[in-house]
Amino acid sequence: MAGPVISARELSLVFQTADAPVYALSKVNLEVEEGDFVSFIGPSGCGKTTLLRVIADLEQATSGTITVNGMSPQEARLKRAYGYVFQAPALYPWRTVERNVGLPLEIMGLDNAAERVARNLDLVNLKGFEKKYPWQLSGGMQQRVSIARALAFDPKLLLMDEPFGALDEIVRDKLNQQLLELWGRTKKTVVFVTHSIPEAVFLSTKIVVMSPRPGRIIDVIKTDFPRDRALDIRETPEFLAVAHRVREGLKAGHSYED
Amino acid sequence: MSAAPAIAAKAPARAEGHALPVAVVCLAILVLWYIAAIPMNWVVTGPKIEAAGGGLANTLAFSWNEARPVIPAPHQIALELWKSVFGAKPWMPKSLIYHGWVTLSSTLLGFLLGSLLGIVLAIAIVHVKFLSKSLMPWIIASQTIPILAIAPMVIVVLGSLGFTGLLPKSLISMYLCFFPVTIGMVKGLTSPETMQLDLMRTYNASSAQVLWKLRFPAAVPFLFTSLKVAVAIALTGAIVGELPTGAIAGIGARLLQGSYYGQTVQIWAALFMGSFIAAGLVWLVGVAERFTLKRMGVRP
Repeated sequence: MAGPVISARELSLVFQTADAPVYALSKVNLEVEEGDFVSFIGPSGCGKTTLLRVIADLEQATSGTITVNGMSPQEARLKRAYGYVFQAPALYPWRTVERNVGLPLEIMGLDNAAERVARNLDLVNLKGFEKKYPWQLSGGMQQRVSIARALAFDPKLLLMDEPFGALDEIVRDKLNQQLLELWGRTKKTVVFVTHSIPEAVFLSTKIVVMSPRPGRIIDVIKTDFPRDRALDIRETPEFLAVAHRVREGLKAGHSYED
Repeated sequence: MSAAPAIAAKAPARAEGHALPVAVVCLAILVLWYIAAIPMNWVVTGPKIEAAGGGLANTLAFSWNEARPVIPAPHQIALELWKSVFGAKPWMPKSLIYHGWVTLSSTLLGFLLGSLLGIVLAIAIVHVKFLSKSLMPWIIASQTIPILAIAPMVIVVLGSLGFTGLLPKSLISMYLCFFPVTIGMVKGLTSPETMQLDLMRTYNASSAQVLWKLRFPAAVPFLFTSLKVAVAIALTGAIVGELPTGAIAGIGARLLQGSYYGQTVQIWAALFMGSFIAAGLVWLVGVAERFTLKRMGVRP
């Protein structure tokens, strides 16, 4: 495939508020290649979610350029180029698990719905829960349903906005591992927003460190851990070195001062 | 297996817990009613009691059995209800079933029309921005006009156009009951969270898809709450619609006749019939609500 999946040049976004403009993003430059697992990390207010929403065309940049699959984000959205996983599962409570996963297929009018739903529920290890309603599942299971839903129409790009932020450490570790497996098997390009350093280092091929006021990128770190890494690589010196560099980046952005 | 009897034993215990307070309240109302009937009926019964020599026995006998009392005793109403429900053929004008059915049919038609109007207005208001500002004031203003003031006009105008009987009364029901449906549905259709709406945007869903797959299902609990209010006031509307026309059939007509001829017992029996119908309708909406929400997988 020619060219990067996502390419941003001098991208800025200013929110006009009553008292003063807020610089949510300031001159962001970024390339995401096919098959990358890219994490945006930074404290709240650094624009990481905003950047993801600009990629998804849920928010529009005020200046600069950005392309997704070589198109504008709007064109990419209209072509249903990406699956989006939100901070909360955002399942529709009146739909069973299988009907939640099948929602994008219904809307896009895709065929083979039953097979696609079954395959993607299998992918997130939720076989046997097809007929359950969301309230009958734990928080971690609900978020896995929402991942299956994002994958249901087989987008090449997966955008994830702090998908495990509301879950406890133990569940999060497990889901991180499952997500890696899933990424390895499906060869998707993943853009992942987080505020957890270990999560970012463990998952990513590329870590984008961001800083607030104005929201900007202060460091981009490439890692070369094997694709099928296990949780214990978090104790290796290489892992700790990368985590240290991320922490230094966050410090340099004065993000701990206030 | 041992858990099953325990669960079974729990249900009647809960039912008993409800029955006692309900019975106590009912009994208290009855006692108060009987006591209140004595002074309230004194204007009519006082001379008779004195003529009969007074005393407690005479007081009670006259106060609670007066043919044209100011307020009839509960057993008089019960007896009148019994007579007019079971003592007359249901298709005869003497039967309260007959009058109840006349009112019920226009209530149901009005309720149906009002609910549809309410839902359509709410959908329009949610989708067309300027409508919420331009239409809402009129909708609210429409409800500030006393229904008794416009009901005769509606009946007369429609009558001159050749519409009589069921339809004009139903339109008054509709006029009253679309309002709670509109208000409830606007709230319900706008109840989905930002994330649930953003999700639809990422799918590039059409607004019709957003409406039927997200907004409408999310609004269903709000809809049923509104429908319970709407069905009760639809009945009120139908009764009010029967008053100014000199209608000869319906709960309203029965009330009117009763007041012409000073038949308070008959008025009260008709009132009770009306409230039984209202309670039945609200109960039916509740049954439909429970059924629908269960089908939608709502947490029990």
